[in-house]
Amino acid sequence: MSPLELVDGRFDKLATELRASRPAVPEGLRNRVEELARVEPEPRREWGFRLPPRRVAFALVALAIIGSFIAAGVTGLGGSKPNRDAVGGPVAGKTPVPESAQGLEKPAGVPYQRRLDKDSLVPQATRLQRYDATLRLRVKDVDALSNATKRAMNLTRGLGGYVASVEYSTRSGRRGGATLVLRVPIVNVQTALAELTSLGTILRQQTAILDVTRRAERESRQLDKLEAELAQIKAELAAGSVPTERRLQLERQAVADRLAVKTLKAKRARLVRSARLARIVLTLTTPTEQAAASPGRFDETLDDAGAVLAREGEILLYALVVLGPLLAIGGVAIAAGKAQRRRSDRRLLERT
Amino acid sequence: MKAKASAEDFAEAAKRHLDDVHAFLVYLTGDRAVAEDLTAETFARALERWHRYDPSRGGARTWLCQVARSAALDHFRAEDRRRRREGRYAVAELRESAEPVFGEGLSPALERALAQLSAAEREVVALRIVLELDGEGAARVLGISTTACSTRLSRALAKLEKEVSAGVAA
Repeated sequence: MSPLELVDGRFDKLATELRASRPAVPEGLRNRVEELARVEPEPRREWGFRLPPRRVAFALVALAIIGSFIAAGVTGLGGSKPNRDAVGGPVAGKTPVPESAQGLEKPAGVPYQRRLDKDSLVPQATRLQRYDATLRLRVKDVDALSNATKRAMNLTRGLGGYVASVEYSTRSGRRGGATLVLRVPIVNVQTALAELTSLGTILRQQTAILDVTRRAERESRQLDKLEAELAQIKAELAAGSVPTERRLQLERQAVADRLAVKTLKAKRARLVRSARLARIVLTLTTPTEQAAASPGRFDETLDDAGAVLAREGEILLYALVVLGPLLAIGGVAIAAGKAQRRRSDRRLLERT
Repeated sequence: MKAKASAEDFAEAAKRHLDDVHAFLVYLTGDRAVAEDLTAETFARALERWHRYDPSRGGARTWLCQVARSAALDHFRAEDRRRRREGRYAVAELRESAEPVFGEGLSPALERALAQLSAAEREVVALRIVLELDGEGAARVLGISTTACSTRLSRALAKLEKEVSAGVAA
């Protein structure tokens, strides 16, 4: 398609004349250029700033991504340690863990009391507090699971508490688990936890304390107020000189107050009871076959690598937030500079 | 993958596109002597930068025209600075030449009409009409959009025709 067809058919004659009378290149110039063309062009530079910037940018981004993955992998491998809690035979180079008379595992080189002191929260005797603890332990096998379950129940009763619920199950005689919800007097909760953690290897331990002293005090004040109000109503009714309408109103008020007192007392009793007994959810499991066959080093490595990647992501985000506006300003300045240059060129060409 | 622009490629491109580059510069500058110098300058620059030429991003002719335009703009800027510097005591040089500038065989009316156009108008005429570059290529050389390029060409041709008609009538 002729370029002119895109513009206007009226200019065909003009275009034909212009094309037919192109300026000829002088011979001298042709010779100069041909001589120049015989010179070897400058070779492509492999290094330096003359590399295509877009490709360099892509390469840098790719390198950064690969680098971050390598760093994450190296950190993951270096940071993760062999699973000390692995069951299923002694690990090479490690001292085998001795077993107790009941066939239960002893803590793997970590004193439980020390871990408890560090990790668990201690309830205060002078305060009214709700204490919740979750404990997940691993025992050696199904026999150990049965023994540990029995010991946990006996221990709870021995400490003045009770077993709220027990779920016990085994599969194929080799694997199993038990979940016990234990209520232990709060004064004995530290002893209970220390004893329970000795039943197996700690997989997870979580404790939470909620102070309900103020709530109990508030409810007590409400109760006192209601009882005082009831006493006043009773005294007024006993006086005898109360008009019928007022008497009916007072009686209705007395009924409502009595109901509120009853509800509040029950609520308060529940609160005190919940603060008197700590709730401990104890989960006992046998090792899975996969875990017994191979320790979770790979999982740990993955976790560590993931954490490193997440951290890198955070740093990248931070850098973007900080550098983003500066880059945007720089980009706008460059674009404005280019536009200015184009305008200047155009003015120059229009003047010429 | 980008093909490497070799020495043979450059020699071939120089030989094939010399006429086009020269014609473009004649139209752009309106001066044969300057166009001749700038053509040599263009190929010298192109030789230096040949390793930067990427055939996947356009033809060699388009790239050479970009280099030529850049050389011409540098020349115009230098001339502009010189004129401004000397303008206080020197009268603007007047170019009067009996020889045709824009091409052998052009009618005097068309020659005069082309001289009346600005460099910006002549360059688009040169690229689209004389060199027969497509809209995209011409727009790339000029650093504008294809639409802007078409508009500019349309206006330049209209003005050229008007000038030719005025010249013939006179």
